[in-house]
Amino acid sequence: MSSQTFGPAALEVGVRIPTLERTLSQMRLVAYGAATWDWHRLHYEAEYAAARGIARPVADGQMFGALLAAALIDWLGPRAFIRRMSFRLRAMVFAGETIRCEGEVTAITAEPAGEVIRVAQRVRVGDRIAVEPASAEIMLRR
Amino acid sequence: MGTLLTDELRGWIGREVSYASPEAIGRASIRYFALAIGDDNPLYVDDAYARAAGYPSIVAPPTFVCETCQYAHRAPDRDGYIGHAWDLPIEGCRMVRGGHEYEFFRPVVADDRIDVTWRLEDISEHRSSRGGSMLIVISTASYSNQHGEPLARHRETLIFQPLEEQR
Repeated sequence: MSSQTFGPAALEVGVRIPTLERTLSQMRLVAYGAATWDWHRLHYEAEYAAARGIARPVADGQMFGALLAAALIDWLGPRAFIRRMSFRLRAMVFAGETIRCEGEVTAITAEPAGEVIRVAQRVRVGDRIAVEPASAEIMLRR
Repeated sequence: MGTLLTDELRGWIGREVSYASPEAIGRASIRYFALAIGDDNPLYVDDAYARAAGYPSIVAPPTFVCETCQYAHRAPDRDGYIGHAWDLPIEGCRMVRGGHEYEFFRPVVADDRIDVTWRLEDISEHRSSRGGSMLIVISTASYSNQHGEPLARHRETLIFQPLEEQR
């Protein structure tokens, strides 16, 4: 496979990142907890959550970082290397809800090793914003 | 104001703790993580595909290193958590994540055995949107591999909200 087959055809400021959608079923929250060696009860135990004023088990906020990054690599291809990212968690997402990771290009600059893409992203769940602001800086190697 | 942030808590600022992973990450942990988040990118399971993209072998998904608690070898605490925690003397609060900042220095591979140093950077008290108080705890984690190569840096913001203000 040649490297020319990787990545989107046209990159410019304002281009939208293809939306990544996931339903965060209770099963997926448990799988994520297990895969990150995190057995926190908040992610699967309804009574534990209720005692803390939270209606239902909650998705681990760090999972949104993984999904925002997946949206970027799916789009930019395997030669893309994320150098930085940051995201602020604004609302809880509960087991069974479907989230959408979206965003757009905010800047493109050239470096000797390749292009540096900057993006703004967010995570929506229904009409709520779960994550915003979120930003990332990606090196797209030549 | 000033009721949550005690002198005892202030004394925690600046503390550091290091963890040395008992084993390398391993290919299974990488595949398991990708499967759990529903990511079917061959970069995480197919060496030939990864080599074509310029890597020596499969790599871990970008944020994996900052999310896994594999480095710790602790018994679960009362919340079921087995990763790094400061066990701060904060009573009557629930903890929620405020946000994360990651910096990545090189791709993480299955053979990497991770060393992590956590540092408690700051604890501060703020007025919450409900008019009460909350504590914001900022920590950083620095990750490197067994060759001493820096892999990533992570700045984590945790928020502690008094339980009686939730309702």
